[in-house]
Amino acid sequence: MERFNQEIIKLAVEEGSKAGAKEVVAKLVEDDSYQIRFSNSEIDVIKRWKRYYLDVFLSKGHPLSLGKKITTLTIQDPDAKKIKQRVPKEVRILDGMPNSKLYWGMDSQDHPSYPKVKGLFDKNIDGFSERAPSLIMKAIDGSISKGPDKVAGVLYFGKSKIGLLTGYGNGGTYRTSHCRATIRAFHKSKSSGQDLVVSRNVTDIEKKLIDAGKQAGDLAKRGAESKEGKEGTYDLIMSPTVGANILGSLISSANPIMMISGMSPLKGKMGKKVFPDSISVADDPMITGGMNSRPFDAEGTPSQRTDIIRDGEFAGIIHNSSSAKLWKLINWIKLKFWVKPKTTANSALGQLGMTGTENDPRTLMPAPSNYHFKPGTYSIDEIISSSTRPTIYLTSNWYTRFTSMSEGTFSTVPRDAMFLIKNGEVKGPITNLRLMGNLLDMAKNVEAVGKDLEQVQWWEVNTPTFVPTIKINNCRFTRAQM
Amino acid sequence: MDGKSLSDHAVEYGGSIGAEYIEARFLSTVDENYMARNGKFLSIQKKPGKGIGVRVLVDGCMGFGSTDRLNKGGIEELTRSVIKMAGSSRREKPIELSDEKSVKKRWKVPAKIPFHDVSGEEKQKFIKDLDKSIKKEAGRAIKNRIVFLGTQKANKYISTSQGSMIDSNISYISVFTMMNARVKDKREQRMLGLGSTSGWEWIREKDVKQTIIDGAKCLVKTIENAGKIKFDKPIDVVVSGDVSGIMAHENVGHPSEADRMMGREGAQAGESFYSDLLDKGEIGDIKLGNENVSIIDDPTLKGSPGFYLYDDECVKARRRHLIKNGYLNELLLNRQYAFEFDTNSNAAARSNSYSREPIVRMSNTFFEPGDHTKDELIEGVKKGILMNSFTEWNIDDRRFHSKYVGLEAYLIENGEVKDRMVKRPVLELTTNGILGSIDAISKDYITRMAPCGKSDPMQPVPVSVGGPHLRMRNIEVG
Repeated sequence: MERFNQEIIKLAVEEGSKAGAKEVVAKLVEDDSYQIRFSNSEIDVIKRWKRYYLDVFLSKGHPLSLGKKITTLTIQDPDAKKIKQRVPKEVRILDGMPNSKLYWGMDSQDHPSYPKVKGLFDKNIDGFSERAPSLIMKAIDGSISKGPDKVAGVLYFGKSKIGLLTGYGNGGTYRTSHCRATIRAFHKSKSSGQDLVVSRNVTDIEKKLIDAGKQAGDLAKRGAESKEGKEGTYDLIMSPTVGANILGSLISSANPIMMISGMSPLKGKMGKKVFPDSISVADDPMITGGMNSRPFDAEGTPSQRTDIIRDGEFAGIIHNSSSAKLWKLINWIKLKFWVKPKTTANSALGQLGMTGTENDPRTLMPAPSNYHFKPGTYSIDEIISSSTRPTIYLTSNWYTRFTSMSEGTFSTVPRDAMFLIKNGEVKGPITNLRLMGNLLDMAKNVEAVGKDLEQVQWWEVNTPTFVPTIKINNCRFTRAQM
Repeated sequence: MDGKSLSDHAVEYGGSIGAEYIEARFLSTVDENYMARNGKFLSIQKKPGKGIGVRVLVDGCMGFGSTDRLNKGGIEELTRSVIKMAGSSRREKPIELSDEKSVKKRWKVPAKIPFHDVSGEEKQKFIKDLDKSIKKEAGRAIKNRIVFLGTQKANKYISTSQGSMIDSNISYISVFTMMNARVKDKREQRMLGLGSTSGWEWIREKDVKQTIIDGAKCLVKTIENAGKIKFDKPIDVVVSGDVSGIMAHENVGHPSEADRMMGREGAQAGESFYSDLLDKGEIGDIKLGNENVSIIDDPTLKGSPGFYLYDDECVKARRRHLIKNGYLNELLLNRQYAFEFDTNSNAAARSNSYSREPIVRMSNTFFEPGDHTKDELIEGVKKGILMNSFTEWNIDDRRFHSKYVGLEAYLIENGEVKDRMVKRPVLELTTNGILGSIDAISKDYITRMAPCGKSDPMQPVPVSVGGPHLRMRNIEVG
């Protein structure tokens, strides 16, 4: 870390306050990340991004005003001169802006200490870029050894140093490392299998990458000679990759922004049974090895675990300080004076936009850290052998889209090896089906929860999700007309 | 040194330390974004950004990196690092680029009214007025009206070790809306995107506001009137340009991307069913649809969301006829895959940021309009539906098995569109199923905008997804 300068964080807060901002957050990030992309069992490109930037969030407004004026400024390659030029100018621009009805103020309490979060940084990340290409080739070889023709995938790794300071004096500095891979094997263009590696730690990564390669290769081989799937109602066994995408979509709607915007099927379900007793889900920013684990959030609020689903009941939503204040107001207008939400330490400088590009505006908003599904008691073999009705085992999916987000009505496309199970036995691979349904109906129909637990994060799953294999009854599968 | 000089320096420096090919791309942008819900602003931001991306080939291996440290030391460190990385991998099959003519060009999209000449107040007023109009004309059923206005001014400078230089200035403007409606226990949602490569005049001259208001009114009409109809037999389906646009994009545009065909997107956006077809036949001989079906991808349409004159590998843009009279006619190619197919690039390399590598992308993809009027398409239907818009859609990662769920849809009987609306009709069709069922195409045409997502890291780029009306025969509607 050659450029990280703690002093400029302090300077940014001082400049913001001096110029008249009521609230300031300065977040300095120095990041050195790599990516290796591969396909046809060869490396296509190795990439490196070195980034050093300062995000400055600024707000102004009377304590009793409805919302506050806000803006977020990003200074690339920051230094004192740029900060002194740009921060006061941005504060002046705030004067001409309308209040944001989404922003109601940040955490002003004093936080003298933060929880120690284990496993955020592995010093072996230094020098890992030298080893990484050969490790990828070993993972490819491991995959090919199981029989497929070719392997594609991606490996991300790198390290960051993050420093945060708010105008209320909260914050600190921490380092992180990360390594995640998607390995997808293909067999005769007819079948494919995928596995993931998601880790903060690179010390024992070689075995994980080779095992993931083998698993992907094995699935691709087992998925070969597949039969056309038939439309109908089946029980569904979701691998962790699938569960993180589908059930993760429901959990991610436990967010006040989604609820206010009419995009949450969980709206109006607080305190009600949504899943059976076997499902408990929390947002946990302190979980060891979690890709979004951290000691504090973007307001400098100490990390905490928040129950979202407790023994099947919808128990809570994530908040930052601002959304908690807004949520309280909304409930008080409805005369629900007993609702007194507080921040759950889920503040992030998140993107609020509709183009999906990095140019979308950013602001302090509630955002998840890591989701954690409590594991159950069944092995995958037990789940399969107890499946007496026709059952489909999905190993991966993509392109989940909603007819109605507020209803939770959706469909998704199985992507890799998919197996038909009858009378407790795997009958063979099937193909070309689509899963359609309603998230709330599926949640009610959870029958079994596996004892395996994997962290999932990949192209189709943004929020790191620790989730086991989960079985759901009565799911509808359709197929396209030729 | 400014960004352009630094790019030139990177190319010269990279060539001197072992890169067999190097390109440097400097991008400087100013983004201005306004987002409001129900007329109340959630966020307003003006954001400048700049940096340089460097891509190299060393012994047939590729490296890419980017930096926001815009000085000589920063760019030299990046270039050294990228060359070292590329050299650290080995390929049995070296990456090579097609031979293309070196060019030095400057081009720009003339903005009659530059964004900086329009006050923030006028931009806010546009959103407030739009929201007010939606509320007034569509009524209270729309509970959430989220409006996003984005503008971007971009200066891009690309320099390559093969002597090409492209310096471009372009302006993007877009309006996205997300509306959801509720009447009793019924709920419907609609996303609608419009955009252009032009200045603020697009907002003043084009009927942006009315298109969105009409979309909102149709959403309310649908939620209030649509009822489920079960069709026991296949029927005919007429789809609007909204629906034909997304079909052209998903079912034909994506599988035409040569990098997917050759497996490079295997672990991300997926492969292409075209690979199987090309194992058995040649481009030009493979029949995909009826002979009245032609599909075009054209980056040279002035003002369109996907407009450009030179791609991010300095190749001159041109119209691509992906499907011609029902036959596979052309793929979307960058220089790497043009070399693999022993041809020239057709300028499909795009990158959405200085920090992303250029990859094969679409621009404006659409069914070529036909000779019919929309009314003529409908007159030829005994029993069917007219699908004017859609909600949910998806497709498998080889781009063959697709699904489109209708939003505003009407029953057609004996050549007439009835008042009776059909709730959420489902077209679950293969690509051949779509292209092989089309018997007539209208001459009318609409343009919609969408950010097309692909690759890892995700690179949304602006594309247009509109088109003409299509008539499809004998479709099973779910």
